[in-house]
Amino acid sequence: MTDLIHFDHVSYRYPGGNDVLADVSFAVAQGEMCYITGPSGAGKTTLLRLIASLCRASRGQLLVMGQNLSALKSRQVPAFRQRIGMVFQNFNLLYDRTVFDNVALPLVIRGYAYDDIGRRVRAALDSVGLLGKEKVLPLTLSGGEQQRVGIARAIVTKPALILADEPTGNLDPEMALDVMRGFKRFNDAGVTVLIATHAIDLIEALPHRIIHLEHGHITDKRPTAASRLKEVVADGVR
Amino acid sequence: MAFVEAGLDRPRWFARWAKEHLRVLLFSLGKIARAPLAAGLTALVIGIALALPAGLFVGVRNLSTIGYSWQESLQLSLFLKDSVSAERGLALAREIGAEKGVARTNYISREQSLAEFRQLSGFGEALDLLQDNPLPAVIAVTPERQQTQAAVEALVERLSQQPEVELAKLDQQWLERLYAILAIAERAVSIVALLLGLAVMVIIGNTIRLDIEARREEIEVMKLIGAPGSFVRRPFLYSGFWFGLGGGVLAWMLVGVGTSMLDAPSAELAALYGSDYRIASLSFVDGLSLIASGIVLGWAGAFVTVTRRLAQIEPK
Repeated sequence: MTDLIHFDHVSYRYPGGNDVLADVSFAVAQGEMCYITGPSGAGKTTLLRLIASLCRASRGQLLVMGQNLSALKSRQVPAFRQRIGMVFQNFNLLYDRTVFDNVALPLVIRGYAYDDIGRRVRAALDSVGLLGKEKVLPLTLSGGEQQRVGIARAIVTKPALILADEPTGNLDPEMALDVMRGFKRFNDAGVTVLIATHAIDLIEALPHRIIHLEHGHITDKRPTAASRLKEVVADGVR
Repeated sequence: MAFVEAGLDRPRWFARWAKEHLRVLLFSLGKIARAPLAAGLTALVIGIALALPAGLFVGVRNLSTIGYSWQESLQLSLFLKDSVSAERGLALAREIGAEKGVARTNYISREQSLAEFRQLSGFGEALDLLQDNPLPAVIAVTPERQQTQAAVEALVERLSQQPEVELAKLDQQWLERLYAILAIAERAVSIVALLLGLAVMVIIGNTIRLDIEARREEIEVMKLIGAPGSFVRRPFLYSGFWFGLGGGVLAWMLVGVGTSMLDAPSAELAALYGSDYRIASLSFVDGLSLIASGIVLGWAGAFVTVTRRLAQIEPK
């Protein structure tokens, strides 16, 4: 099976609420890099949460890395989640621990030997260009650096799949492009990468397949950059 | 499940388990060391809660030891008729000594009784005023230990039937009463221990609950990156362990200080009763079990709270 992620008529509905995702079907091949786009509330985050088994599909079937997620027992979820690297808009770092401890956490959870952990953490920090900052607390770093710590934590276990939810949402354009280039590098190394993002300019700078969501459905529309959005509105008025 | 885990050996489960527990042990200790006052106060409250039943236990134990030491010397006295000669008395003492249920007999002649009384009572001069020796010869009979009360009473009855015996006397009613009271006290100590044990669990549970609330985000992050429940739970269980351990040690110290403060006055009281009894504190084994129960309660209190709370914290 070459599909790393396979959505088959998947719907998700909040308990007692509306459908956030309705009848979504798509597949992502191993080694692919995809953007998930769409307006706020279109279901981008929910899509990523479903893949990471942070919530469960109300209907349909979802296969991730050969695992049928509806058959996953709740005590198997942590082990499954360890196989995915996740990056968040708000970084989700532990601010009372050093950069090293943050990045080491996924390895500590799995119980590796300290020597191995040390080597792996330094390698991961090296690949995001933060090798000298091991002993620093995350709050003393800039937003871009904090996000790179988050990325180092996501890749330190060498996962086959990286999920990133608005990873550049809190970064200035230069840092954002830097971070995106980082994801591209991991993708070149064979890692499947899914990025939910609003950053049209970054997508244009690093073009890849786009999965565009609107009102919980996949559509053929493409995201519009803010600069052009103004023209569209102006045209409408005129 | 193909899974990229290149280049890393996962140690065997026992090495992993031991390393992880050592890590969390030191981590939780470090956390306590960073806020020693708060942790110390929690441990002190637990210590007091544990020291109360432990102190009562020591009290009851001491009282029953006193009672028991008197039971050791439980004797029945056969007062012989004045007409019985010293030879006959001695022979009778030997006869009774051979009987079933009797450990030992001791014949005390009238003269010995008088000498002893003179020496011990302080009424020596008063005795000199008397023409005759007013004291009877006595055979002190020590019953074999571990006899039922009925057997001892039957023995008294049988011996009082002897023609040479004027009066057979066994005074153990007060002992029965003491034991009945101690049985109630022991039961009361159990109840107090149970309630305060629950209190310890609640105290630790509450401390852990506050800690969990303070570290809610951290728990969410850990769950996000795939930490299993046991991994998230472990530091809190170790906090409970440390609080229980600290509380147990403090409780032992409190009981020790308490008994040493009571030592001098109780020795004085014992001396007034002609005893050299000294109040006993917790034995080493009892102290260790006090600490162990602190640890068990701390761990259990933490476990209940953490299991309940962590289920409620899911990553958003």
